[in-house]
Order: sequence, then structure tokens, then C-alpha cells
Amino acid sequence: MSDVNNDIVLEIKDIHKSFDKLEVLQGIDITVERGEVVAVIGPSGGGKSTLLRCATTLEKVDSGKIVIGGDVLCDDVDGHSVYCDKKLEREIRSKFGLVFQNFNLFPHFSVRRNITEALIHVHKKSKEEADAICDGLLKKMDLEAKADEYPCNLSGGQQQRVSIARALATNPEIIFFDEPTSALDPELTKGVLTVIKELAQEKMTMVIVTHEMSFARDVADRIVFMDGGVIVEEGPAYELVTNPKQERTKAFLAGY
Amino acid sequence: MEGTNQAIQTMVATLRQLTQGFGLSLAIFGLTLLFSIPLGLLICKGRMSKITVVSLLCRLYISVLRGTPLMLQLLLVYFGPYYVFRVSLGNDYRFIATIIAFSLNYAAYFAEIFRGGIQSMSKGQYEAATVLGFSKAQTYFKIILPQVIKRVLPSVSNEIITLVKDTSLAQVLSVAEMFTRASAAASKQVSVMPFIVAGLFYYLMNLLIEFILNRVEKSMSYYS
Repeated sequence: MSDVNNDIVLEIKDIHKSFDKLEVLQGIDITVERGEVVAVIGPSGGGKSTLLRCATTLEKVDSGKIVIGGDVLCDDVDGHSVYCDKKLEREIRSKFGLVFQNFNLFPHFSVRRNITEALIHVHKKSKEEADAICDGLLKKMDLEAKADEYPCNLSGGQQQRVSIARALATNPEIIFFDEPTSALDPELTKGVLTVIKELAQEKMTMVIVTHEMSFARDVADRIVFMDGGVIVEEGPAYELVTNPKQERTKAFLAGY
Repeated sequence: MEGTNQAIQTMVATLRQLTQGFGLSLAIFGLTLLFSIPLGLLICKGRMSKITVVSLLCRLYISVLRGTPLMLQLLLVYFGPYYVFRVSLGNDYRFIATIIAFSLNYAAYFAEIFRGGIQSMSKGQYEAATVLGFSKAQTYFKIILPQVIKRVLPSVSNEIITLVKDTSLAQVLSVAEMFTRASAAASKQVSVMPFIVAGLFYYLMNLLIEFILNRVEKSMSYYS
């Protein structure tokens, strides 16, 4: 791989986050390179979702450093995180996409408008440009016929694919997935996983919180196993799943 | 023959009086909505404010305005300036006081309805909008408000229909709206007829409002 492909898209350094007295993240370090797919696995309450929410600006960390696409979202100063200004924060938001567990599509917008609204009103693209991007993405998601439908008329799997298209529309450098198939039944899960797999083949940089172990093993380059607010173990995906080193990882994987 | 003629004349006169009064009732209705809805939105915002003082003041406002009779509020707004400041505000103030009291009162109800609507929105809608880069104002006006309007419409409809009937309370300040005129006509004619005609006016007005609101509701039913 060339150097260009090796640059770092996401750098998380020693982040801590507490809710009241509970320290949910107790010093997490993660670095994601361009084109890399990282799966985050672990038991519920282990801090996976909080990690994702901190990386996507939905929660603020107490201490530590986060750099996305070369821009410093927050940096540690004397044990406390200091965040960048609002303007840069909004710029950073355009560098990543987030796919939610329960889609969070805008129900009053058509599929097309769900995808184009931010392009037009945040990224200042013309309606024609935005529509062209939208059409391309819907084709990719196999949802060409649904452009004018409303989310309530789509299946869960289709809704999730729309939300992936929405996250992709602004051409982000990295996409975060927060348990993208947890709200779907197995049949619908397949379609969504296929889409993510295709993105991985296209070398889209992704961080995926998931409970789909075989999917993580097959699609991710690297797996991070989190429990109790710390990274217990991380390594190449196949190796971590088939040959975990830590007892806690073994115990967790034994449940699958 | 003579008697029938007179009855018809009385009827026509009553109708004319009530129609004139109806204009004023409509004005009270329209102006109250015009002022109370934005004020309600403002109080709702204040009620949900993180600043404790603001939030508490708005709670108190809502509590008092909802907890005391509108008729009493009308009297207070009208007579208050005279008894407190010894200022006489002239005859026009009757109508102005009516609009002030109605707007203040209805704003309290609207504030609570809006709060219910806003708080029923899932956090995910805000988060999705934030992550997509929408500003706070864009999130509010493009994503949240349109959905809130749909959700609060049934409750707002209720208030609007109640307001049509409540305009009759302006009688207490001798504002010459329809009910005041109906009362006057009824006692003059020693007949219940003017009241029945007034009732018909209110009902027809509400029938029309119901029709319009149903149309609006239907126009928003393309999503759930």
C-alpha cells in the first residue's frame, strides 16, 4: 500500500467519559487508517456505543484527544478535554457519517429528501447535483424505485439502507455504524450487511459496532473487543475471533 | 298578518345585530390565535429552558393562567390599570383588554400542548440532524417543528374550537361581540330566540373550522 492509503482518518487517544459517577470509558485508544474496517464488539454496557457517540460529537469526552480527518475535535489539556470551536466542529461533522441502530430517518421527508436535504442546505450543492448523488446511491442500495416513498412505507432493511445512503451522500472520510442490524430480523439483516460488505470492498473507512460475529470476522480488518470501559483485546479480525488470547474475550465469544 | 310581519322584522333586526357582533367575535378569535400561538411557543421554550429561573417563572405563569377563570383574567386586565395605576384607558381599551387577556390565557394552554409535542420527539431526530451538519435553527425549523405540528394538531384543534365559544366571555367587559348583542336582544324581546340564533352562529363557525382542520390533518397524513 502507498503512503496515501495509509494516512490516519481517526485517532482516539486515552479518552475518558463518565455519566455521573459511572466511568463508561476508562481510557480508550483507537487509530483507524484510511480504507480500514474496524469492528467493535463486546457485551452490552461495555462502552461501545458511548465510544461511537463520543467520536461522532454526540457526547463530549471528559479527557483525551480525538482527531478526525486531520482535524482536532478535542485535545487533552491538563487532564481535561478542550473542544474546538463550533465552526470547526461543524466542518468535522461533514467528514464522517453515522448510521444509527434505529435508522433515525426523517419521517416527514421522502427518501430522496432524506438524502439530499443536507447536501443542499449544509453542503450548498444545487438541487440537480444533489439529485444526481441521490440517484447514484439509491441505485447502489437497490432502492431506485423508492426515491419518492416515505420511510414509513419501507421495511426496516430498506430504511437502514436509506440511512446508509444518507450517511454516504456527503462523501465522508469515515462512516460509523452503531449496531446497524440490531433492530432488524435476520432476513432483513442480510441485505444491510451485504451493502456494508460492498462498501468494505470499495475501501470505505468504517467503524462498526456490531453483535454479528461472523460478519465482523469476515468483513472487518481488525476487531476491537471492549468490556467494562476498556479495550480488552484487539487484533486482526479472523485471528481474534478464532484464536482469542484474553479470558474475557474467550468467554464472550463462547456465547456465539 | 300584522303579527307575522313584526316577527319577521324582529328576526331580521336580530340577525343584523348578531352579524355585526359576529364580526367582533371573529376579530377576538383571530387576534387571539395570532398572538397566543407565538407567545405559547415562547413560553413553551422558556418552560423547557435549562435556566431554572426562566423555567420556574414559565411554570408559574402556566399554572396561574390555567388555574384561574378566564372571566376573572378579563376583569383584571381591564380594571387592573385603573385600580393599580389610577389610569383610565378609554373605551377602546375594552377590546384591547379582551385580546390581551385571551392571548395570555390561551398562550398558557398552547405552551403546554407544544411542550408535549416537542418532548414526544425522539432524541434520534436531533442527533441525526446534528450529525448531518444541520444548524440548530435548521434542525428546529426543518426537522422538529414540522413533525411537532402534526403531533399537536388534534390538541390545538380542541383549543381553537373552545376559543370560538369562549369569545362569548368578552360580554363581561361589555364588548359588543355576538353574545353580548344576543343577550341584549333576548332581554329586549323577552325571547330566547336570539340565543338560539347565536348558538347556530357558533356551531356553524365551528363546523367550518372542523372541516378546515380535518383537511389540514389529512394533508399531513402522508407519513406516520
